Amino acid sequence: MRRVLWLAAAIGLGASSLHAQGVMVAPHAVYIDHRVRSGSVLLYNPGTEPVEVTISTLFGYPVTDSTGAITLRTVDAPDSTLPSALAWIQAFPRRLTVAPLERQTVRLLARPPVGLADGEYWVRLMIAAKAGQIPIVGVSDTTAIQVGLTLEVRTIIGVQYRKGAVTTGVALSNVRAQLRGDTLVTWSRLVRQGNAAFVGTVRGIVVDSTGATRASFASPLGVYFSMEPRIASIIGKLPRGRYWLRYEVVAEREDLDPALVLRAPPARDSVQLFVP
Amino acid sequence: MKLLSWFVIGMALLGAALPPVVGAQGKPFTVTGVRGVIFGAVLPGVPRVISRTDPANSGQFDIKGVKDTQVQLTFALPSAMNGPAGAQMPIAFGSSDAGYSQAQVIGSQIGFDPKQPFTGTLSKNGRGSVFIGATANPVANQRAGPYTATITLTVTVLP
Repeated sequence: MRRVLWLAAAIGLGASSLHAQGVMVAPHAVYIDHRVRSGSVLLYNPGTEPVEVTISTLFGYPVTDSTGAITLRTVDAPDSTLPSALAWIQAFPRRLTVAPLERQTVRLLARPPVGLADGEYWVRLMIAAKAGQIPIVGVSDTTAIQVGLTLEVRTIIGVQYRKGAVTTGVALSNVRAQLRGDTLVTWSRLVRQGNAAFVGTVRGIVVDSTGATRASFASPLGVYFSMEPRIASIIGKLPRGRYWLRYEVVAEREDLDPALVLRAPPARDSVQLFVP
Repeated sequence: MKLLSWFVIGMALLGAALPPVVGAQGKPFTVTGVRGVIFGAVLPGVPRVISRTDPANSGQFDIKGVKDTQVQLTFALPSAMNGPAGAQMPIAFGSSDAGYSQAQVIGSQIGFDPKQPFTGTLSKNGRGSVFIGATANPVANQRAGPYTATITLTVTVLP
């Protein structure tokens, strides 16, 4: 049933983008087991023109900046202190053309070093898609200056390589929350435990003094080392009074196969909110 | 038996005509370039400004993925456009020339500096759109002909 739903989603995505330039990439996260040492990514061109695709790899992981926004920190030459698979996971082919309404498979092949310690290793896959040039209107008029900018798109997805015993968890502290008009803004400090990235979801529930739920939000999150994410959710205006925000970080993801999400105990905390 | 045969034939035809069956690891993710920035005809020495809220001429990218996913948007921007016989035309991007709309509505954007990374969140339907404007600066003796360059948008799936 799950597979049928994914298929239906893929059809919907393809049908609605028939005139656009780009490729559909699936899945949006790749997990490779050490016993298999290979993976694959499917590319589908929903457009009407061939798309030239270039595949490359890089090392990076999500961090937060001073405002709490999540960004990708890239490291050009990761040293041995970082769990990088950049040097030994390769994609084939690296250049390909995907014809209109056609699909192609990109294989990922891992050649880990001998004696690789148990744990999780990361690399990012960049899929650059370039379709035909958008024509500049009126180029036949050689006396005029005609100007236009064409577009190119790149998609970066994560690849996780797991060997042996992998564990994860998250330590939660310093939860803060503010109501700004109809928006609830939260911050917290999250520190990963174990030897694998914590891939899960942040959930928040706002309850009133009677314990009734007044609002809720959920946001997918990956904690690779540590971060202090800012999550803003429109929850509507709350009447005057005191409320509690019940904040939890759980190892659950709607978008991933549950078998791939490493189990970890939930981390919870609560903070009070006041609407004057 | 006959029913089974029809089922097998039907599935085979379906498989040939449809996009790939997505693996169990995750959902599909699509970034598409919908529309390039269109300046049309410009006059020598007269800057031409295209706003990110211009519904006909601004550049547009659409993103489809997983609901509530955070994505990092990073532009690679040209400083000049290439024209006939090696001629170039300067192009500039202002600090609010890019915009992100979770609702995919051009009139409802959060502006951002296209020269800096920006983090957006996809909608409950897993969608979002990026819009971009620019300013072309033709010089007084700009050579006639077509000029073009490429804007590259990199979308990083963050979690």
